[in-house]
Amino acid sequence: MSDDSSRPFASDQAQELAAVLDTLIPPSEDGRMPGAGALGLVRRLEEICEAGADLRPILEGGLTALSALARERGAGSFAGLCEDERPALLEAVGEHAPAFVPTLLFHTYAGYYQHPKVLEGLGLPARAPFPQGYPLEAGDLGPLERVQARGRLWRETGESDA
Amino acid sequence: MSEEPVDVVVIGAGAAGAAFAWSLAETRMRIVCLEQGDWLDPSTYPTTGLDWEARRFGDFGLSPNGRGRPEDYPVNDTGSPIQISNFNAVGGSTILYAAHFPRFHPSDFRVHSLDGVADDWPLDYAELAPWYDVNAEMMGVAGLAGDPAGPPKEPTLPPVPLGRMGDVLARGFDSLGWHWWPSDSAIATVEYDGRAPCINLGPCISACAQGAKASTDVTYWPKAVRAGVELRTRCRVREITVGDDGLADGVIYYDADGVERHQRAEIVVLACNGVGTPRLLLNSCSARFPDGLANHSGLVGKNLMFHPYGMVTGIFDEPLESYKGPNGCCFISQEFYETDRERGFVRGYSFEIVRGMGPGSTALLGLANGSVPWGAGHHAGFAELWDRTAGMVAICEDLPEEVNTVTLDPELSDSDGIPAPKITYRLSENSQRMLEHSVARGQEVLEAAGAKQTLVTAPLGIAGWHLMGTARMGTDPSRSVTDPWGRCHDVRNLFVIDGSVFVTAAAVNPTNTIQALALRTADYIKRNLATLLD
Ligand SMILES: Cc1cc2nc3c(=O)[nH]c(=O)nc-3n(C[C@H](O)[C@H](O)[C@H](O)COP(=O)(O)OP(=O)(O)OC[C@H]3O[C@@H](n4cnc5c(N)ncnc54)[C@H](O)[C@@H]3O)c2cc1C
Repeated sequence: MSDDSSRPFASDQAQELAAVLDTLIPPSEDGRMPGAGALGLVRRLEEICEAGADLRPILEGGLTALSALARERGAGSFAGLCEDERPALLEAVGEHAPAFVPTLLFHTYAGYYQHPKVLEGLGLPARAPFPQGYPLEAGDLGPLERVQARGRLWRETGESDA
Repeated sequence: MSEEPVDVVVIGAGAAGAAFAWSLAETRMRIVCLEQGDWLDPSTYPTTGLDWEARRFGDFGLSPNGRGRPEDYPVNDTGSPIQISNFNAVGGSTILYAAHFPRFHPSDFRVHSLDGVADDWPLDYAELAPWYDVNAEMMGVAGLAGDPAGPPKEPTLPPVPLGRMGDVLARGFDSLGWHWWPSDSAIATVEYDGRAPCINLGPCISACAQGAKASTDVTYWPKAVRAGVELRTRCRVREITVGDDGLADGVIYYDADGVERHQRAEIVVLACNGVGTPRLLLNSCSARFPDGLANHSGLVGKNLMFHPYGMVTGIFDEPLESYKGPNGCCFISQEFYETDRERGFVRGYSFEIVRGMGPGSTALLGLANGSVPWGAGHHAGFAELWDRTAGMVAICEDLPEEVNTVTLDPELSDSDGIPAPKITYRLSENSQRMLEHSVARGQEVLEAAGAKQTLVTAPLGIAGWHLMGTARMGTDPSRSVTDPWGRCHDVRNLFVIDGSVFVTAAAVNPTNTIQALALRTADYIKRNLATLLD
């Protein structure tokens, strides 16, 4: 068993967070796009917390509020709710932890769309832009003849400009 | 600690400092450039990793306030609807710039004579043109000859490809009969001067890992250093010192280890950009210059000009492949460049076509405007937006106003304790009207190109990247800080070579003009070396 005591989130918190991520971006029905909870994004969030950003208290506060709401609904945790029930809880948590969902959304969207599995799902190469880059069509410069036919467009100044 | 005196000290290794130092190097004078940032390693640039989009919010952010880099100085820009974007490194802000590289128009130098506003420049287009040509050789400018919107010029390299997106947008301009032309772009579209050709990575404004974009760390600097210029990095200048004769006699700076040093020099040259330069002048107070160095006119830090940007993004039904290719270089439209008073404002604007976004930025745009929700509708919302966005920014000409300023913040300072700049800026009524006109025309042309929806942001808050006017040039010492060559009226061995000297802003990106002026100042010094300080 790995020692995760030095990580920002205890394993039950990490599990809760993964369930939240999967609610924010669930897998697509056609199966092409994975859910955000299945991509290791919790680890990415932990890294951002470790880098000293103000993220940790926001996430911890949100998770605590979420667990309390889940208990009110008779579940042991957010992850213990069935998938249909989860969105309503995320809507409700804003009252107790207003920054939680907006902050998490920003990091989730940013992290999700850089994951190789997601890029593949979009039909993109699962790689960084460099070093292969992309080919680009030259495009049609033919219509520029019409632009040129209008003649000089810049304004005379009465000096030796041209 | 005092250094061995040198002939010339240049402060700032960005667009202007690099061009100037390279040009002056042929004199074989001892030239030292002090730069607070360092050389960067392109193998660590964002596009080398999958997290290239996220790094726009981290170490390659546009604002010095959020980047977390020790070489940055903070800027209090809370008093402005437009925030400062810059970069501090060898190459300066050209590390991040989009490399859109147009020239001014002749009318830009004659704003007062033609339109009765602001002031004329003390030089004209024809006078500056030879230095634009030198700069084109050195930076490598891609483009297409024959543009009827400006005086004739010969691009050095073939134009940046339009791509599918460019074709679609050009359709809109064509159908309205509006001007458009492939952009002048400081990008090596083919191998040029040891630089590898552009491979269409996309986000030039996150630095170019390929080295195809002409940032000055890969253009002027290697040549300047080979020619003998000493570039000292991680050296932050605190103030310029003045001798009993009233001339600048050097600078006090903190070196890479934080040790305070005094570098003496015969000539001091400021190239810290339109915010960094007035900051340094205002921080250089003495009995002779109690209100800041070279500030007898009281104009140091005044007349700050940005280009207010109006951004219009179209959402199309067809895939555009718009995430490929240099994001700020495709084509330009100068249909509304020259004054037409019937529009309700004087002067005008350029449209710079902006390519689309990567998947991360697309999702975040959709998050911001509600079109890509979380939960069940997420993937459908994203599919509607992904690879279907393209648009433009309108670069509006700002006019100089003394109420728009760079001053010293009474509380904020950088990591060396040097007072930080504070920006106070508001949009003039003329700029406001121009912005409104530009976004309406932008929407019109995007709809003509087939956009089913358009999104508008004006002014674009992050777009404080063109910094001009804060030590303007002129012939009258009571109405300008420098003479027509960038030499300070009050201190004749002190030169300003960055966008601070701009008299007016024109309606194009400024760097080509900044560098042409810096090269011109270098030639002036070379020509007059024997008598310069008489
Ligand atoms: C995101 C972005 C996009 C842009 N796109 C374009 C574009 O498409 N086209 C265009 O023409 N322009 C563009 N620009 C603007 C362009 O980068 C600037 O016009 C240009 O770099 C200005 O050159 P400069 O030499 O005056 O200043 P900079 O390039 O900013 O260089 C100034 C240098 O001075 C150094 N410095 C400042 N103070 C001190 C000090 N006290 N001690 C030591 N060193 C100091 C800084 O570290 C910096 O390296 C863009 C800028 C940004 C940020």
